[in-house]
Amino acid sequence: MSPRVAIVDFVQTEHGGHLHENVQELTFGVVRKLMDRVGIDRSEIGTMISSSADYWQGISCSNSYYYDSAGGNLKSGSKVGEDSVFTVIYGMMRILSGHYRTALLVAVTKCSECPSEHTLSNLCADPFFHRPVGINGVAVAGLQARQYLERHSPPTHAAAQVVVKNRSNAAKNPYAHVRSTVTVDEVLSSPTVAAPLRKLDVPVTSDGACALLLAEEGTARDLCDDPVFIEGVGWNVDRSLVGDRDLRRGSLHKASAMAYGKAGIRDPGKEIDVAEISETSSYHEILWSEGLGLCGPGEGWRLATEGLSSLEGTLPINPSGGLFGANPQVARGLVRVGEAYLQVLGEAGDHQVPNVRKALAHSVHGLGGQSHSVVILGH
Amino acid sequence: MAQAVAIVGTGQTECGKRSDVSYPELVHEAVTRAFEDAGIGPEDIDAVVAGSMPPAMEGVNNPHLYLAGAMGAYGKPLMRTATCGSTGISLAHTGFYHVASGMFDTVLVVGAEKMNEGDPQGTMATVADPFFQRPFLAGAPGIFSLQSNEWAHRYGIEEKRVRMAAAEISVRNHNDALRNPYAHIRIRTTIEDVLTARIIAYPVRLLDVCPASDGACAVIMASQEKAGKLGRNQAWIKGVGYCGEQAFFGEGDKVVWKSAINAAKSAYDQAGISNPLKQLDVAEVYNPFTFQEMLFYECFGFCDFGKGCELVEQGVVMPGGELPCDPSGGVLCTNPIGATGLQRVAEVVLQVTGRAGDRQVPGAKTGLAHAMGGLDQFNGIMIISNEL
Amino acid sequence: MAEESRILTGYVSLPYKWAMGPATTRFYEEFRKKRIMGSRCGKCNRILVPARSFCSDCFVETDEWVEVSQEGSIRTWVLINFAYEGQPKEPPYILAILDLDGADVGLPHFVGGFEMKDLETVEEKVRIGGRVKAVWKENREGYILDIDYFEPID
Repeated sequence: MSPRVAIVDFVQTEHGGHLHENVQELTFGVVRKLMDRVGIDRSEIGTMISSSADYWQGISCSNSYYYDSAGGNLKSGSKVGEDSVFTVIYGMMRILSGHYRTALLVAVTKCSECPSEHTLSNLCADPFFHRPVGINGVAVAGLQARQYLERHSPPTHAAAQVVVKNRSNAAKNPYAHVRSTVTVDEVLSSPTVAAPLRKLDVPVTSDGACALLLAEEGTARDLCDDPVFIEGVGWNVDRSLVGDRDLRRGSLHKASAMAYGKAGIRDPGKEIDVAEISETSSYHEILWSEGLGLCGPGEGWRLATEGLSSLEGTLPINPSGGLFGANPQVARGLVRVGEAYLQVLGEAGDHQVPNVRKALAHSVHGLGGQSHSVVILGH
Repeated sequence: MAQAVAIVGTGQTECGKRSDVSYPELVHEAVTRAFEDAGIGPEDIDAVVAGSMPPAMEGVNNPHLYLAGAMGAYGKPLMRTATCGSTGISLAHTGFYHVASGMFDTVLVVGAEKMNEGDPQGTMATVADPFFQRPFLAGAPGIFSLQSNEWAHRYGIEEKRVRMAAAEISVRNHNDALRNPYAHIRIRTTIEDVLTARIIAYPVRLLDVCPASDGACAVIMASQEKAGKLGRNQAWIKGVGYCGEQAFFGEGDKVVWKSAINAAKSAYDQAGISNPLKQLDVAEVYNPFTFQEMLFYECFGFCDFGKGCELVEQGVVMPGGELPCDPSGGVLCTNPIGATGLQRVAEVVLQVTGRAGDRQVPGAKTGLAHAMGGLDQFNGIMIISNEL
Repeated sequence: MAEESRILTGYVSLPYKWAMGPATTRFYEEFRKKRIMGSRCGKCNRILVPARSFCSDCFVETDEWVEVSQEGSIRTWVLINFAYEGQPKEPPYILAILDLDGADVGLPHFVGGFEMKDLETVEEKVRIGGRVKAVWKENREGYILDIDYFEPID
């Protein structure tokens, strides 16, 4: 039997629209708190893997600015871009190699300090064909939403229901940035931004940081009473040019198949008890739910309208409020893993889902979900 | 324990100003050559690792996603690693852990940079934080000149002597680069040329400084089982080490430089190296600036502290010496930064498998590849041998 | 912490010179002549637009250039109705992925040539599967915006 890697603890900031600590102070804050809670000294940390993005920090080689404040001084480490779920995957690889017993994972983004996500995601488009016509994150999200509407004809309130659910969950999450609730009418009457997407269909961006400690099984049992295990990871990349892709299907099914294969999951809709999904827009939660196989193709919208994905439903999605609660671009992926961990542990507080045995965390980066990553956690 | 990891193929582009191709086409060139070298195709690859300098270098955000097609990565797991100047060695480490963890059998690792498309020094100035350091640090040369001056002063090394040793390193690297078909700067220089070249940032003169290059490098790693099936040109990763330090330049000691010392020590411990000068046959030391190379000799244990100049003067690190350094011509002559550390790995692989052509170090069995990055913050090492 | 954080305002502005490479260079030379070119992959037989030097799926060089139609159908579309820094034109405007006749992949470009008062009037004019035709600018410089937009021709 291959060795197992577990999560020992997780700490996040109270995310906000404009946190007044700088990036060094944010990373120091979460790492210091994590070490205090676990009760370990920095000398006991094996390696430090962080995630951030240079464009999202306004400081190039972004980890050079916080390497020591994130606990990495005179340690072996690395930085993975541009989705912090990769810290989990790379940290796990380093532990499985036998070189390290523990891996400290740190992620940080202060969206309030950068140009808007619309400007920065336009820079993800190639300079020759896509950038000049304004391809960016929200534009591709709109193109995907239009395709979904046309093909599956969900009722108009379906996507709005996702927003209402997630905002209502976020109101119960003390770490969320946006903690006010909205109604379906408010979503549907908000101005169009990338029609069919309206202003409230798209999460605002946030400032935030988080830290998570991984350890191999034996060390994890020494450090905590109740380690939560990583049962499977998967990630996959789609084609670069948006026009070359099937924007409905993408590569998520490949990422999830890899993770499910490792975790021995055959029927994710039944076996997964809770999912934290990076819903970069209302329709993306629907689309990604289908890509993850949590429901059949074209059925994703029913999860929200029939209440299945609500906190009390049979398959709660984003009990933390998801990105509608807090959206610190690069750090949001590790927040998803952290929230999924809290759910398995049973310590998610007011947004706890009862009896969670297996939880799924998902993250995404690139235009229209060019890259997806999936982590399965369990006891 | 870690699964053994082999390097079964390398591919490099010719470097320089490569305006003849787009960024993806440049990457495609290196990847295609790595496939040819390994005798496999993209269908044999289980996962891909890619990296480069800050995306602002080429002005494309999420560069790994832009380059995914050029690497044959569609439908595969792709991860980006980026650690500034040490990106290339961090990429090699990431690829190593993909296989050493037992998660993958065959992994493609790609580093690339197209520095002529942007403003390299302008981009690198944004590595410094905007509150304290950005207004002062004049791109890369400023930092390394500060470090070199401190080193020479600490050990009371006469300025003339340091300059002469640095000039010999410059001439050695330029001569070596003439024998490396992938090198960017291909000129013959003399000691006199180096000593009288224009000052860039004292004591660094024009011929003490690396160029800004366009280039890409690809390396294919495989598990022992997979490598056995391929059965050709295998090199083995014997040790990896990496260490990072403080963001504030003034905080750490950059002469007895802990990140460099620690990175080498970890890699040596894994590889069973106690006397690097004797046990290593070749070293590709990351030397964007000639002066800094001597400091690395000391931190890597090639000699005692303060004695770096002697290794040059006695010919130890020169062609034909006990430990020839930078037979590729080094970073001094070729520096597409995101690829640079990986080029060090590729060159050591070519050396220990006896395929380095005119620049072959005779009988090389074990070599060291190194890269450095951040604001003099990060050092990474990989030890590669032709024996498992 | 008692004090609010002060904000340091700064700009990072850097110039770029992107090498197009041979395939994109030729593609845009043909644009000057109002021709939209694709390249065929000899392995999967797809016509790739814009034309490119290699097929990423098959990982082989493309080997044949073919002209594709100036007309095609809308795969999907979005109405952009908000402003941000670095935007290509004043909102509102329509961005679409177009399947040009003869091409096997989609080309993102603008759909326009009519007034976009509100979503309802736009939805009468633009639909998935709707036919469009390229409208070229008089002065062409060999760039994607040599096509001003694609106009609905249903």
